[in-house]
Amino acid sequence: MSKFSVKIFLLAILCLASTFAALTIGPASISTQELVSCLMGVCQNTVTEMVVWQVRLPRVLVGLVTGIGLACAGTILQNITRNPLADPYLFGIVSGAALGATVANITVANQLTIALPLAAFVGALSSVILVVVIAKALQRMEQLLLTGIAVSFMFHSITQFLLYLGDPFATNRVIFWLMGSLARVEMSNFYVISTILLFALVIIFALHRQIDALLLGDESAASLGVNVDKLRLAMLAICAALTATIVAYCGGIGFVGLMVPHIVRQVIGVTTVPLIIGSALIGGTFLLWVDVIARSALDSAEIPIGIITSAFGSIFFLLIMYRTRNNQEAR
Amino acid sequence: MSALLYIKQLNWKVSGKTILNNVDLNVSTGEIVGIIGPNGAGKTSLLRCILNQQKDFTGTIHFKGKNINSYSAKKLARHFAVVAQKANPIFALSVFDVVSMGLLPHKTMFSLNNSQDLHQMTLALEKVGLANELHSQYNHLSGGEQQRVLIARALVQKAVILILDEPTNHLDVYYQHQILTLVKNLNITVIMTVHDLNLAAQYCQRLVLLNKGEIVADDIADKVLNPIILTEVFQLPCQREQDPVTNVARVYFHLADQITTSDNEQLSTNNEQQRNPTNNNKDQTQAMSHE
Repeated sequence: MSKFSVKIFLLAILCLASTFAALTIGPASISTQELVSCLMGVCQNTVTEMVVWQVRLPRVLVGLVTGIGLACAGTILQNITRNPLADPYLFGIVSGAALGATVANITVANQLTIALPLAAFVGALSSVILVVVIAKALQRMEQLLLTGIAVSFMFHSITQFLLYLGDPFATNRVIFWLMGSLARVEMSNFYVISTILLFALVIIFALHRQIDALLLGDESAASLGVNVDKLRLAMLAICAALTATIVAYCGGIGFVGLMVPHIVRQVIGVTTVPLIIGSALIGGTFLLWVDVIARSALDSAEIPIGIITSAFGSIFFLLIMYRTRNNQEAR
Repeated sequence: MSALLYIKQLNWKVSGKTILNNVDLNVSTGEIVGIIGPNGAGKTSLLRCILNQQKDFTGTIHFKGKNINSYSAKKLARHFAVVAQKANPIFALSVFDVVSMGLLPHKTMFSLNNSQDLHQMTLALEKVGLANELHSQYNHLSGGEQQRVLIARALVQKAVILILDEPTNHLDVYYQHQILTLVKNLNITVIMTVHDLNLAAQYCQRLVLLNKGEIVADDIADKVLNPIILTEVFQLPCQREQDPVTNVARVYFHLADQITTSDNEQLSTNNEQQRNPTNNNKDQTQAMSHE
């Protein structure tokens, strides 16, 4: 068994164990024995059965695919832009979603259950389309990230303006939604996210050699027969659809797509196949535990997930800076 | 039309500015052709046209008797391998990762590396003298070793023509000779752009001198490295002598104000000597380029 296989096997075990553990931890404590019997359809307590099937399982499964999806999107965006700081959120996806959610709040506030995720999805996709159109018009496809940041600020300012004009209740609702949470997710959300995730993974694995070729530069990839602009556009569209869906259901959960690929590159590899497998397993596991902290750290309320991932992210980057400084001094 | 690569009346303009002007060039199997010329002469542009990375040129480029436009990008990559100037990957790619990129044009979607691919990659690395570096980090290798890894990638690509764009840039003298000796011993058709005229003369069977997008000379090194032509093209006084070891022509350039009166007289005498025995080489080479 190769080193890579051993690492992936261990990460897969960790991910599976975390999924089971996450199902047992929460305000209502469920023992492993109870959980196994409930999952096998022979639950002795109807309350436990309801908690497992209607509350815990959808939440844990959505958390798992959300972590996998965000980590995979971050991985692909970093590899196609050759920028270790690329993240789905830097392409204006969250600011687009926020604008969509704000508009929905103002216009159809009484039908928010359906309208908010839908508007957020439309907003996120519009933002990415705008980024690509501008980058293409400027003939600077390699500077997608800078265009993304510019569009992101533009959308953010429009959102702020609308929130400033809107009523305080709507403003609170949008701000809370943007902090990210898995509290309101349903099993149907899991089916939608995992379908798009599966579709994205199939495309990524089909084109893994082309994506790898980009790592040595656009001209190098073109000389190997890769249509660089088309590939970059296709990958961006896939990542946008994946992230927009996740943001629509779970709100803004930052730093996962930025942080996880960094860790995986250090321990597993930099090319697409090992990186995606590693990022998926670590991203999924990470978000499961973040959600566990979110719902069990405080007795009276839940902490929005985005707050925890951002806190982890900032500490992580300070550690990276510290390590880089130490490495430079060692030289 | 028996040439492996046949280029006729190649013209390329960008916003009205001529980049390549009536370029005619034939490359036969096994030839090592060096493209030389000052900055902005059109060397890299010519390579881009040959690789079909530039679509808006006029004229004809045929490879193996077929128009270059009739090849898909993937098919073209099976015939042409490119070794560019130094690559600086951001992420920590291994030698294995870089060399396996060469398999891309021969692979289908989803396909992973098999034992045969691994064998092929090991053979290529053996050929460039880096058999033990398969799992080393590419960024940790020296500039010369990195270029050899890129040549190994080109070998894995199984291309018919190897295109090198300034392969010796950033390399010290030792690695310059090491890389070009390696390329010469590969026994495949090579087209390379080189800034160092003496290196080009030493390793290329034929030199093509470009200036302002036009071919000024296309011949063996001894004829192309003509001080009169080179002085005109590079706008610097040029002197020439024969290398005592390899007996290949060597040229030297000096800034005009660095040349003393006696040097100037010597230069004029040398240039006169060059002019007479070859009976006006410039006219010959220019005539050749129009044929």
